[in-house]
Amino acid sequence: MSGRTRDLGLHLLDRQIVDPDGHAVGRVDDVELMVPEDGSPPYVIAMLTGPQALGPRLGGLLGRWVVFWSHALSRGSEAGPGRIGMELVTDFGTDISVSRTRLELGVHANEDRARDYLVGRLPGARGAER
Amino acid sequence: MRSAELLGLPVVGPAGEDLGKVLDVRLVQDGPLLGAFAALRVEGLVVGTRRMASRLGYDRFDGQSDVKGPWLVAVCVRYLTRHTRYLPWDAAELSAGTVRSRVRDLPRVPPIT
Repeated sequence: MSGRTRDLGLHLLDRQIVDPDGHAVGRVDDVELMVPEDGSPPYVIAMLTGPQALGPRLGGLLGRWVVFWSHALSRGSEAGPGRIGMELVTDFGTDISVSRTRLELGVHANEDRARDYLVGRLPGARGAER
Repeated sequence: MRSAELLGLPVVGPAGEDLGKVLDVRLVQDGPLLGAFAALRVEGLVVGTRRMASRLGYDRFDGQSDVKGPWLVAVCVRYLTRHTRYLPWDAAELSAGTVRSRVRDLPRVPPIT
């Protein structure tokens, strides 16, 4: 029996990912496909989020620029984009719900670092905590 | 493999004729179980030349679906995407940054179910 069909660009890419508390985790900037060795069709195993996922999709000079600055700001501590395995998805809708919180997923290290070391230290920045 | 490596690739026919680019990837939810859902398996590729028009989705739904209007937009976009075709994954071959179709005449894009 054939399952439900979806189109990657229409139903997955650029959708908002939300955690169990309803907080935005990020957008689906790209997906990772597993290519089975037996030659059967690939399938989606993870959603990728953040500038290092978006850059290659944008392509050209802009895409390379986005990836370069993301790498530079992450000080080499991250090898790739934020990755959320499809096994964590609890609902496909207008948004894509996942079973872990944004903090547990830890997919936006640059944003978290900027919040901790820059925004959180500004006078009157109470509430900028995670 | 990332979807960015697939989307936008040129598609050629058996004799090397230009068929357009990969505009989208049709997925079917019948792969191995991942958490609560079956994995989304690649079933085929949406192939054409009008990427922006195709992203509105009017070429992926039949008349019975919710995507009917506004009628003026639907008519214009359906006209722009009239050459959009569907390449089943079984008939596609990836080589050197190009998708080669094993069949010359591709069918229209089947509606999303």
